[in-house]
Amino acid sequence: MTAISNNQDLLHRVLLGKKEILVTEDEPLLAQLERAGILVEYQCREGYCSSCSLKLLRGNVIYLEEPLAWVQSGYLLACCAIVKSDIEIAFFSNN
Amino acid sequence: MSYSTFNRKRFDSMKEPMFFGENVNVARYDQQKHPIFEKLIEKQLSFFWRPEEVDLSSDRKDFQRLEAHEQHIFLSNLKYQTLLDSVQGRSPNVALLPIVSIPELETWIETWSFSETIHSRSYTHIIRNIVNDPSLVFDDITENAEITKRAESVSKWYDDLILLVGLYNTLGPGVHNVPGKGEVDVNLKALKKALYLTMVSVNVLEAIRFYVSFACSFAFAERTLMEGNAKIIKLIARDEALHLTGTQHILNLMASGKDDPEMEEIAKECEDEAYQIFFEAAEQEKEWASYLFKDGSMIGLNAQILGQYVEYITNIRMQAIGLLPTFETKHNPIPWINAWLVSDNVQVAPQEAEISSYLVGQIDNDLDESDFDDFDL
Repeated sequence: MTAISNNQDLLHRVLLGKKEILVTEDEPLLAQLERAGILVEYQCREGYCSSCSLKLLRGNVIYLEEPLAWVQSGYLLACCAIVKSDIEIAFFSNN
Repeated sequence: MSYSTFNRKRFDSMKEPMFFGENVNVARYDQQKHPIFEKLIEKQLSFFWRPEEVDLSSDRKDFQRLEAHEQHIFLSNLKYQTLLDSVQGRSPNVALLPIVSIPELETWIETWSFSETIHSRSYTHIIRNIVNDPSLVFDDITENAEITKRAESVSKWYDDLILLVGLYNTLGPGVHNVPGKGEVDVNLKALKKALYLTMVSVNVLEAIRFYVSFACSFAFAERTLMEGNAKIIKLIARDEALHLTGTQHILNLMASGKDDPEMEEIAKECEDEAYQIFFEAAEQEKEWASYLFKDGSMIGLNAQILGQYVEYITNIRMQAIGLLPTFETKHNPIPWINAWLVSDNVQVAPQEAEISSYLVGQIDNDLDESDFDDFDL
């Protein structure tokens, strides 16, 4: 398991449509998107409801614990995904 | 062929498909073909709650003060939810237990269905509290045309599957003449198709049909009305989020072909019908929103906004099982609902109710005297 606390200075770029925000590896993507003013669908915020599933177009994320929800290939669960590289995401597969 | 409550055959349950393999014999959970179902059982058990834990005394006063059209919205939603959970409290057991083939999924089905009976009990708790004669509400569920229309859609897939499974388990494959139904062609492929479409319809029930009612309940609570009801709905929504994950896993496992290669083929063949089930449900839910608001809207919600929400949530649910999100609405028109749906701030005192973050059985028996070294009295 990666010791995320050591990576506090590490920033990754998240591209969502025309918006770009910077995120750290300290906490999951969802909370950081919300702080950047981006509304993401959510319900459980602990990886079992799949509501915050986003399309992962490019880049890598990891999960500190395997989520209970089914994560489709090419998607991520924002509430518990830790971003590990620059990534590009979209709300839906066809938007 | 016929169902056995304790299959005497020796076989490796780790090699069985989820459905239509051997009947389960030993209920063992030390090994699991699909560990997800064991995890879902544990999560569901940690969610256990009882309706009586939520105090509804102020809801009674609130209800009496609601405008007539708001009472209509509130009671209609309760009737619809009562219908949905009446179906869900029994149907997974009746339809799926005779055909399930792995112990952890068998127990997940029972655990899932049991939690729906708690939801049904909570509707009785709510209705008994706000009206003097609960029968007036309950009796309308089988009489009101708007509700019975929906009863047909939510039960028909289950009923088809149950009929086929009954015939298959007693008479075996073949064309059977069933009084009132005519010739019914029973074969394993038809059964698997009926199972797949039933699972889609159940996913729609839990992941879309409930959400119009949830939105209304939380819209009342946003105005600090019917807050006891909203607490109960939060607990129900938490359970439903877990159940819908269960059906998403079953559907995705089927479509992947990793569990039963024939199911992959069937999922492909059924794709158009699966879309139709989602579209039909979304249309019905939009119609339901119009029925709810026929005499007037509520602050913050009307039929149009709810209709957009239905489209949005349907997109999310379709995408979760590998279908394309085909509705126009790609943004949540009522984003405030998420703050109510979020499970971990179910605002009831821990001594009154289970909270999801409260873990049972966390006592460490392996204590040493040195563990008390920094303890001062």
